[in-house]
Amino acid sequence: MANRTGQSKEYDYLFKLLIIGDSGVGKSALLVRFADNVFSTNYITTIGVDFKIRTLVVDGQRVKLQIWDTAGQERFRTITSTYYRGTHGVIIVYDVTNGESFANVKRWLHEIEQNCDMVNKVLVGNKNDDPSRKVVLTSDAQRYADQMGVQLFETSAKDNINVEEMFMAITKQVLRTKKQQQIDETKQDTVNLRPTGGGKQPGHRKKGCC
Amino acid sequence: MGQFGVAYFVLSNLSPKNNKSVFVRSKRKRIAYKNSEGEVEDEDDLMPGTERESLARGMSSQKGREYTIRLALEKKQDQYIDLKGITVYIGSWNVNGQSPGSICLSEWLSRTNEPPDIYAVGFQELDLSKEAFLFNDTPKEAEWRDSVKAGLHPGARYFHVRTIRLVGMMMIVFVREEIKDQLRHIAVEQIGTGLLGRMGNKGGVGVRFELNETSMCFVNLHLAAHVEEFQRRNQDFHQIFNRLGFFINEKVKYIKDHDQIFMFGDLNYRINPATIDATKAKALIEQEKYSIILEQDQLREQMRLGHVFSGFTEGTINYRPTYKYDSNTDNWDSSEKNRAPAWCDRILFRGGNLTQIDYTSQPQYKLSDHKPVSSFFNAKIKVINPTRQRKVYEETLKQMDRIENEYLPQVTVDIPGTNQSSHSNRNEINFGKVKFMEPLRKTFTVANTGQVPVHLEFIKKLNDSHVCKEWLKIEPVHSFIMPGETCEVELLVLVDKCTAAQLNVGRDTLYDILVLHLESGKDIFITVAGDFERSVFGCSIAALVNMSEPLTMISPGKLIELEKGKMPVNHYDIPKELWFLVDRLYRIGMDKDGLFTMAGSQSEVLEIRDWMDTIPNTPIPGNADSIAETMFLLLDCFPEPVIPFSMHLKCLDSAHNYTACKQLVRQLPAAHRNVFLYLTSFLRELLNHSDKNGLDAKILALLFGKIMIRDQNYNAKANARVERTKATFIYQFLVNDDYGDDLWPEMGEDLVSFS
Repeated sequence: MANRTGQSKEYDYLFKLLIIGDSGVGKSALLVRFADNVFSTNYITTIGVDFKIRTLVVDGQRVKLQIWDTAGQERFRTITSTYYRGTHGVIIVYDVTNGESFANVKRWLHEIEQNCDMVNKVLVGNKNDDPSRKVVLTSDAQRYADQMGVQLFETSAKDNINVEEMFMAITKQVLRTKKQQQIDETKQDTVNLRPTGGGKQPGHRKKGCC
Repeated sequence: MGQFGVAYFVLSNLSPKNNKSVFVRSKRKRIAYKNSEGEVEDEDDLMPGTERESLARGMSSQKGREYTIRLALEKKQDQYIDLKGITVYIGSWNVNGQSPGSICLSEWLSRTNEPPDIYAVGFQELDLSKEAFLFNDTPKEAEWRDSVKAGLHPGARYFHVRTIRLVGMMMIVFVREEIKDQLRHIAVEQIGTGLLGRMGNKGGVGVRFELNETSMCFVNLHLAAHVEEFQRRNQDFHQIFNRLGFFINEKVKYIKDHDQIFMFGDLNYRINPATIDATKAKALIEQEKYSIILEQDQLREQMRLGHVFSGFTEGTINYRPTYKYDSNTDNWDSSEKNRAPAWCDRILFRGGNLTQIDYTSQPQYKLSDHKPVSSFFNAKIKVINPTRQRKVYEETLKQMDRIENEYLPQVTVDIPGTNQSSHSNRNEINFGKVKFMEPLRKTFTVANTGQVPVHLEFIKKLNDSHVCKEWLKIEPVHSFIMPGETCEVELLVLVDKCTAAQLNVGRDTLYDILVLHLESGKDIFITVAGDFERSVFGCSIAALVNMSEPLTMISPGKLIELEKGKMPVNHYDIPKELWFLVDRLYRIGMDKDGLFTMAGSQSEVLEIRDWMDTIPNTPIPGNADSIAETMFLLLDCFPEPVIPFSMHLKCLDSAHNYTACKQLVRQLPAAHRNVFLYLTSFLRELLNHSDKNGLDAKILALLFGKIMIRDQNYNAKANARVERTKATFIYQFLVNDDYGDDLWPEMGEDLVSFS
């Protein structure tokens, strides 16, 4: 989206992030906290797919995030899965006070696998603001996150705990992947300059996000 | 004073040269700035026409956003800018065309304990030769520059920023090596105000730059001479002050545009001779009563009157007048003219964060008829604190993001009769019971609650070929709503021949999720649901002939089984519903004028539908036309028509050969064959009444051909030739005499009781 001269670009990178997870775990609350720095106790189910933008400065580079918030209800799952396309990073949210939402993380990870090729992920346990109501233990969640090779964050959109850090972490991951891709592409180009005769075809890629 | 002779000026009417050089220079600069990297480009380019157009369409402008961020950052400067103290040293000397020779300038320029950060040293009458005037070329420039360099404070190393000279006016600017990298946008400019108002014997030369975030401007002046010409001097000042413009990034910065301004030189203002003559002045000077004389100083008076140097400050003068001495002495002018002493050489400043530390003259220099003057300043310059600037920048970005989010399209969907709060079945439209061929409508309202016009559109879900299911119509599918306005959307549910069969057996349900997409914005899901009341319409011939009870008595599972299963023996020869209809027509419709060609009553058709689904113990309702229409509808709804799709082509091929037609009918599945024969024999009977009903075989063949040999796709456009062939096929069975005898083996006697 650079302008004609390529100067004065509003950002250096544009990434699409997707927030998924069971209905009622606080996906929209996380987004609104991060983008508008507000929290509403008035709960409204998301029926559809909404997005907000937020620009972060990472290592002096402006990264514009377009963050998509999806309806968590089961009946919308087929439709929401179509929004995975073009996503750079996925935020999987569960509710630390709701064991079922944590158990369902597996399904959501499966959903990502079905719809994305290689995408950065973070696992987020939201509503981590009332120890008396917490049922998903940090140690259990951490063990699962390690097993799945994803970073875990316990957040509270309500008390604004760890929200900024979590978004910053996924953004940095995505940025690192993007930069690595750019390096790989440069290398690929160099390799491709050589004549190919009966050589190996580059690996067939699955339908992918990026 | 070393005035120029008139003769020089006549020769020197070459002023275009001067203008031209300025023009060329400014042009070169434009190119230079275009090429310079990392510099802010011309701001006009930030809002080009195309951006405006997209803004008008409600899109956010990236360039506009960038521009706004820059303005916002400038506005919040206080939050991330610190003041840093530096020192500035100004010197000025009218050297009367003399070469420096071996004199040492450090007593003039190096008087402070600490080395100054900035030097701006101005000279006037550097060279009085006509070469200097005509060709602007003088060896003295280098001589004086070297002397100045040698005279700078020894406690620091200095970087030569610029030297600018116009004829005899020269200014050299140095800064300490340590701060040279903090200079930006260095520019020099000159202006002549001498003969003809523009020659370079009088005028000004300037140097400007930004040191960190503070813009500084130094102007060395030489204003008009002669005691009575103070107004001319005022004019010269204004011309210089208003017209000396520096080109920075293709934009002009005037003197007034700078944070800190130093203007100095041989301003040539004198002591008012009417009140203090030369003799009196000299006497007062001996007593060091400078303030009395200064009351009559033309510059002070003109400033008091607001005629010149407005906004500028000059420090207290505590030194002897700098003019006019016999060269190489400290004696007042002893020439014929006996010039009165005056403070011709002055230093003025304007701008915030400037403190003058001293302001004095160095009378020990006797080279010229003027004495040099100097002044030392503490200045505070603005320096960015990168950490705080980053914080402010991030805050600004956040603010802009928030605005951008606010300007995303926003709508609310209001569905009458539903709880629009947090309820999880929000955005759900339930049509309740839906019956075959009975259209139901519901509307909902979409309100633009955002700040921008919204273009909304119902879009296809992935893998779907349509925006919604076939039994649903949306009107409008897309719309445009201005902020604060609303749009009504109507949903129409109608289960007809195309969809009844699927819904009957649960291959489809009255459930759909619509995706309402806002251009450049979010998607809203709207759920549409209803309960379909199954009906005989849409049931297959095969299922109907095995349905001994009314449809409403049959469970959904049983119906699915009937539709799937192949029964070894059919319960009926033909569907009982068809028999009811034909039987009824036989009783009331045979003589009806134009039967099958007139539309029935819609409400009667629905009554007949309900009757057939329940088969109550009452006569079948409706007049002949309604019965006829219902019959058409029933036939049209068979998922597999009387002539099955698989035999369609063969049927068309054999249409012109009666034997072949009969052969084909023989090959039909039993129930289909029975229906075919039952219907054709009924039509033959109908033709026996043609004198009353006015029907002929061709019309009936065309009507029933279309429906019994139906195309697979309901929505396909009819092909006239194919339709004629279908009619021919039916026609064969309506007009040939040897009809049926060899085709009827299984038909039960009770059903074929027309006669």
